[in-house]
Amino acid sequence: MGHWEENTAKWYEQTMVYCDLCGKIIPKNFWVVKSETNRLVFCNPDCEQLYGDYWLPSQERKA
Amino acid sequence: MPERASKMETIDTVTLSVINNALINICREMGTAMMRTSYSPIFNEGLDFSCVIFNRRGDMIGQAEFCPTMLGSAQYAVNWTIEELGLESFEPGDVVVHNDPYRGQCHMPEHMVLKPVFFKGQIWGFVANIAHVGEIGGMAPGSFAADATEVYQEGLRLPPVKVMSRGEYVKDVWKIILSNHRTPKTSWGDLHAMIGSLSIAEARLLGMLDRYGARFLTAASDRLLDYSERWMREEIRDIPNGEYYASDCMEDDGVTDQPVWIRLKLVVRDDEVIADWTRSDRQAKGPVNATFVVTAAASYSGLLHLTSNDIPRNSGCYRPIRVVTKPGTVVNVRHPGPSVGGNTETHPHIQNVVVAALSQAIPERAAAAEGASGCNFLFAGVHPDTGEYYTNYHIDGSGWGATAFHDGDSAMCPENGNCRNTPVEVLENKFPWRTLEYRLRPDSGGPGKFRGGLGSTRVLRVLAPEITVSALMDRTKTRAWGLFGGGKGGHGGIFVKKSGDTQFRTFSEAFGTVSDSKFTRVVLNEGDEVMINSPGGGGYGPPSERSPKAIERDIRQGWVSEEAARRLYGHGSQGA
Repeated sequence: MGHWEENTAKWYEQTMVYCDLCGKIIPKNFWVVKSETNRLVFCNPDCEQLYGDYWLPSQERKA
Repeated sequence: MPERASKMETIDTVTLSVINNALINICREMGTAMMRTSYSPIFNEGLDFSCVIFNRRGDMIGQAEFCPTMLGSAQYAVNWTIEELGLESFEPGDVVVHNDPYRGQCHMPEHMVLKPVFFKGQIWGFVANIAHVGEIGGMAPGSFAADATEVYQEGLRLPPVKVMSRGEYVKDVWKIILSNHRTPKTSWGDLHAMIGSLSIAEARLLGMLDRYGARFLTAASDRLLDYSERWMREEIRDIPNGEYYASDCMEDDGVTDQPVWIRLKLVVRDDEVIADWTRSDRQAKGPVNATFVVTAAASYSGLLHLTSNDIPRNSGCYRPIRVVTKPGTVVNVRHPGPSVGGNTETHPHIQNVVVAALSQAIPERAAAAEGASGCNFLFAGVHPDTGEYYTNYHIDGSGWGATAFHDGDSAMCPENGNCRNTPVEVLENKFPWRTLEYRLRPDSGGPGKFRGGLGSTRVLRVLAPEITVSALMDRTKTRAWGLFGGGKGGHGGIFVKKSGDTQFRTFSEAFGTVSDSKFTRVVLNEGDEVMINSPGGGGYGPPSERSPKAIERDIRQGWVSEEAARRLYGHGSQGA
């Protein structure tokens, strides 16, 4: 289950957070999903869903 | 009309259609205002701008027939602006400017101005436009540095900042902007054309709000978004499910003489499409990199070219199209990589790759590849007649790809730009060039049952003591592909003939530039000549199936030589 987080970088910093699915730079609020082994950041729950039902299976097939 | 519609209430289709057309017409009127009031030819002749309307949630609810690259990316730039600044920071009369490719914009010259529209004390939505500001500083006059290796060389980078606050100039910001542009007077005029058109759109939108009420107009535009999404999903459902692959390359990046590959796996899954670009090459050293939003906009544009023209163009029709990229690749540049050419040159390649992938599924709707180069040609100097410093961003059209039912159009701006060519008279009137030739180039269209569009040839002679030129082109070594037996289009090129020389040479031969087609700050002198050959489009179907009448017309018009007609079409060899 994910939750929203806000990029807490100071306004003068150039911290770029990328979505782990689409690769877009996320402006401010991002969707975080944690598992036992990793922490994934997405634009929103839609990107998390596509990560699960498209990206992961395609990587498993490749492996 | 009273405020009367909630989400559940019925809005009749006639009213929805009237509202959709009204939103489109507001965008068109914004465009007309910009065309008539701007200073630079890339605005008032090239029409290199796009006008849009958004609701307060950041959904695009209105657009018109402008540049697909800007239209697709506008929703990212607007959403970034709303999220970074916060809705609460906007006040009536504010205007925000924004060109940062690392904050949801497409490339540095593309400036967005955005104005909130308040109705009865609340923000109802936003009006905005994106336009190519022709000179924004950086290492090359015209701000199209073909040998840039980082974004900081490409001009002044502006995060979303207010240039107008409650209707008043934010003079400090204006001073910073205009002090960093080489031609501040032109920037002043063009930016005011953009801002002025927002005022027109704001007035028209307020007129609609007065007539329909905020709640009704919100409900109607929400219905239009959903309707557009449903229609696009139905169109995608008609495409057979499957995985479709295609690729193309940028022939070099201006810094290293190596091709950079764009690779697509396109997945059609019932009513959605996934454009997976993750197998593309790592980002280039030079400025052919696309930002994520450029890749997204090109993916949308590719799909929109293959689906119904009647789908209302708004954020709804983009929803079923998912884009997957990897940061640090040519389709999603990482900071501080350069990207000025990614928007003009790489975007059409990306779009062409989408069409090529789907040509395997829906061949009757696809087109062969286009010339896909804006033939970006930049020049600057002091005009001998006025003593004033000038710069100009010039584009030339290339040939479009043929389709299953007609020849490709000739000498057209790439589909992603949808801009106009600048007339010879305007070019000569404003800048110290003499146009010696401007014509369609015979045999540059790929042969086929339907022929690819022709590229053009333009020859210019320098009339001033000095002009500094730069260029960023592609398809000068590679060629636009044909489909289903159609042949490749002719390649383009840019050449120079120094005063006293008898022949044209490449800029690499004459000046030692790394790339023949991507270079900056080459100084030409009076009497020197430049020849720009734009690439042609690919053909569709076997040339043997082209009608003899069409071949004879091509020969008569000078579009195909008799020799090529014999060699490529077998015309005349068997009594045809």
